[in-house]
Amino acid sequence: MFSVKLWGSRGSMPTPGPDSVVFGGNTSCIEVRCDDRLIIIDAGSGIRGLGDSLMKTDLKKGPITADIFLTHTHWDHIMGFPMFTPIYVPGTRLTIRGPMAFEDDSLDKVIGTQLSYRYWPVRQEELAARIDYEHLRETRVDMGDGITVQTKYLNHPILCLGYRIEFKGKSFSTCYDHEPYRNLFPTDPGDPQYDEAIAREGDQATREENEKVYRFYAASDLLVHDAQYTAREYAAGKTGWGHSSFEYAINMANKASVKRLVLSHHDPNRTDTELQELELFYKAKIAGKSMLEIDVAREGNSFMLAP
Amino acid sequence: MAGSDNIRRIRDYIISMPSLPTTVSKVLEVCNNPRTSPLDLDKVISLDPVLMGKVLKLINSAYYGLSTQVTSLARAIIMLGVNTVKNLALSTAVIDKFGNKGDFRALNPEGFWRHSLCVGVAAKMIAKRRGADPRMHEEYFAAGLLHDIGKIPINNALAEEYIRTMSLADRERIALFLAEKRSIDVDHCEAGKMVAEAWKLDGPINDTITFHHALESYAGGHRDVVLTVAVANYFANREGIGFSGNLYPDRIPPEVFEELGMAKSVLDDIEDNVNAEIEKAKVFLAGARA
Repeated sequence: MFSVKLWGSRGSMPTPGPDSVVFGGNTSCIEVRCDDRLIIIDAGSGIRGLGDSLMKTDLKKGPITADIFLTHTHWDHIMGFPMFTPIYVPGTRLTIRGPMAFEDDSLDKVIGTQLSYRYWPVRQEELAARIDYEHLRETRVDMGDGITVQTKYLNHPILCLGYRIEFKGKSFSTCYDHEPYRNLFPTDPGDPQYDEAIAREGDQATREENEKVYRFYAASDLLVHDAQYTAREYAAGKTGWGHSSFEYAINMANKASVKRLVLSHHDPNRTDTELQELELFYKAKIAGKSMLEIDVAREGNSFMLAP
Repeated sequence: MAGSDNIRRIRDYIISMPSLPTTVSKVLEVCNNPRTSPLDLDKVISLDPVLMGKVLKLINSAYYGLSTQVTSLARAIIMLGVNTVKNLALSTAVIDKFGNKGDFRALNPEGFWRHSLCVGVAAKMIAKRRGADPRMHEEYFAAGLLHDIGKIPINNALAEEYIRTMSLADRERIALFLAEKRSIDVDHCEAGKMVAEAWKLDGPINDTITFHHALESYAGGHRDVVLTVAVANYFANREGIGFSGNLYPDRIPPEVFEELGMAKSVLDDIEDNVNAEIEKAKVFLAGARA
């Protein structure tokens, strides 16, 4: 079995309330099952629900073992970790992997700082689970049991990794948090700051880096992609914030021959009504023009990639 | 034992090596401004060997495992983002504000900066004249800008000793790196290699730092860059553009010019352009002090 379940798809901050009943208000967390192996991508507030579910269903079969892959260490992607109940259960074994923080602090320090008395009543040293940490760079990890995880750096204000998990001939990829690379240097020869060599270098770097990203998730059976903004919102003051637009995600996924695209990392201000409208709008827009299937991420959605 | 103690002091200094005092006020101005353009950021970093090295360290440590090293600053800024690069530059520059005011007692910071920039600019111009791949031009610049980086930790961690080293070179009329070896048991190429390793710079930049005074013993794969920077270094010393403590520079054997396929007269042709580039940089930096 190869399945994917979304436990949180909200960006930036949890958003409980009447406007997030349909799509959910928890931040990033994805449960991936590869037969008996459990892989978790991100420890946003959604991981609390996943933890409780594991306590009910998995613990009966024996101690919980999981591989957690963090896309990056921004708060909305790690804030749920102290409420992930299995960390308090003896016998739990976790391997947490993620990219290096910019300041060169180790991953256990970045995650573990949340478990210090000033923020939380239990210290990291007091956890019952055995937790190993591993820094990831761009690499391919052989997880055993026929599972491979490939990583790719994305464009975000701190180092952020996309993941591609392959199992049973199927592939599931993530591409969040991610903003298209863009040439930051003046490209208009009329601009007084224009420098031809740098403009050319910038164009080339931008093209190459964006190509690398979509080649990374090319032909995925399922892709969860950042779509925090619409193209209009993105252009009106959100460039450089580290997120993509619906339009960009759809165009790139289509170009990369992805089979199914899930648009995620919803802006905290986005209401259920707006997300429903956006989903209908983009579905209609590509109908008959592309083989790509698209969904707007809903908390609790499950996808079966292989039986 | 003195040698190993010197190495320890150099190594300790490298851990928190600050920006050059020559550029620090401009770095603070550019990086504290939330509206700074990427181009100004590119400019201010490319004028400071320490900052340039640290930005390249960051991009290459983050992207470790890629087949090629990133040596283009423009690409580094696009990949890391303006804010990350600004924060890095600020943290490097701010340390300097609290640094030892007596720094640069042996070497004059202005002269060192001018020499480093001259070698970077000249190396890039020679590469252009020789028809090197345009994508590599920035690599020549970076290697030239950083070639003497090893002098910074020696000058700061072993300030008294370095003054004596320079007197020795002066008295005996020998090249500075030979005097360094004799007097403190570590020359600026070895100290530079330690910096390059701390910053995880390998390839042409590391090779240039390590071998620019030992061309005949260099058997690595970046001869074009190493030799070009050695020639640019010779040019800077010959023309007296800046000064990095070397009154008796080594000569460049004619075989080097032959191997590079360039006439020595190319150096006369680039002189005006190199001076113009350095003056432009001066004007840019002076903007912060007004």
